[in-house]
Amino acid sequence: MDQVSVSIDVMRCKACSYCVDVCPKKIIELSSQTNSKGYHYASVGAAENCTGCRFCAIVCPELAIQLSIVKQVMPAKSVR
Amino acid sequence: MMNKLKLMSGNEALAESAIRAGCRFFFGYPITPQGELLEYMARRLPEVGGTFLQSESEIAAINMVFGAASAGMRVITASSSTGISLMQEGLSFLATAELPCLVVNIMRAGPGLGRVKPSQGDYLQATKGGGHGDYHTIVLAPATAQEMADLAFEGFSIADKYRNPVMILSDGMLGQMMEPVILPDSVSVDQLPQKSWAVTGSRDRGRNLVLAAPYTDDELIELNAELDRKYASVRVQEQRWEGKFLDDARLVVVAFGSSARISEDAVVMARERGLKVGLVRPITLWPFPEKAFETLRSTVDAYLTVEMNSGQMVEDVRLAAGVDKPVYHFGHGGGWIPSAQAVYDEVVRLHDGSIAR
Repeated sequence: MDQVSVSIDVMRCKACSYCVDVCPKKIIELSSQTNSKGYHYASVGAAENCTGCRFCAIVCPELAIQLSIVKQVMPAKSVR
Repeated sequence: MMNKLKLMSGNEALAESAIRAGCRFFFGYPITPQGELLEYMARRLPEVGGTFLQSESEIAAINMVFGAASAGMRVITASSSTGISLMQEGLSFLATAELPCLVVNIMRAGPGLGRVKPSQGDYLQATKGGGHGDYHTIVLAPATAQEMADLAFEGFSIADKYRNPVMILSDGMLGQMMEPVILPDSVSVDQLPQKSWAVTGSRDRGRNLVLAAPYTDDELIELNAELDRKYASVRVQEQRWEGKFLDDARLVVVAFGSSARISEDAVVMARERGLKVGLVRPITLWPFPEKAFETLRSTVDAYLTVEMNSGQMVEDVRLAAGVDKPVYHFGHGGGWIPSAQAVYDEVVRLHDGSIAR
């Protein structure tokens, strides 16, 4: 599995919850905490389930979500 | 030029299609869920020698539209519900001055500031005036990304033909959703029909005037009469709709835009169960496609409007259907999106309640 990390710029989030809707693994939720503007910002729960599809980053109107994906190099399989 | 299938969001498809229709001016202010439309224009318009300007407000934007339209240019602005409310005074001015333009409303949930989920809560605002005075905008309601492109392209022709603002009434779902789209061929700006009334400099001709209001009382009364004649001819010539399964339908679902494509799935499900259910999808919301209902009067028992609002289209359907036909409503605003199953359940409930047996 690739190493995926999702970073959310909390200050830019306006809690539209588009990312919550589009996440196929349903690992994004609105936090019970608020940012300084008073919005319940998006946060990632079980990050280990993230597939790196980037739907959340694509759909975010505020460009507040970034993904970094570190490719795991698989050991070459022996070919018969 | 080969027209290839492209995967685009409704917002992007509409923006590109507008450019291909010869539109070179966009004035607007960012708002979700309209954002991609404005962003696309910001990137693309400079590439084709156009002008993109992010105004300080929606009020400024609609008045910039007035300016560009006065000069005879194809011009577009786009916003979402609350921003469109700010533009209403300008829209009334545009209609009064008989200026063609395209105004796109990617509706979001209201009332008030609301939130950014899709809605169809601006039906009444769009079709019944919105701004002050006796005027109409011609309102087109796409139901797919393809139609976002097609109706924007054609919308400019309709606007030019009647010298009237055309509104594309879409919503956040259609704007954000990505679908395969075939874009129209580009029109060269030079090939667009000349507008003899436009304010383009009067060196070799008499001067043209574009006025937000006539100078005398009598002129204003005459202008109102003239506008009425124009609107009457739009009512006769421009009604558009799509009908499905209507031949033997006893219950007809009436829905536009997003809720229409969901309702179509529900109607297909009902047909599979043998229920005599049909669908009317208005494409022009103003003028409302009354003609679609004329042939249904003798065969249909009842109507069901499915809308992502509190039933704003019900009265138009009631007027078109005739007073003796019940018109029911399913839906509400606030960002709620019906599932095909929920619409189907409502259809079955009405059907089994002997309404359309």
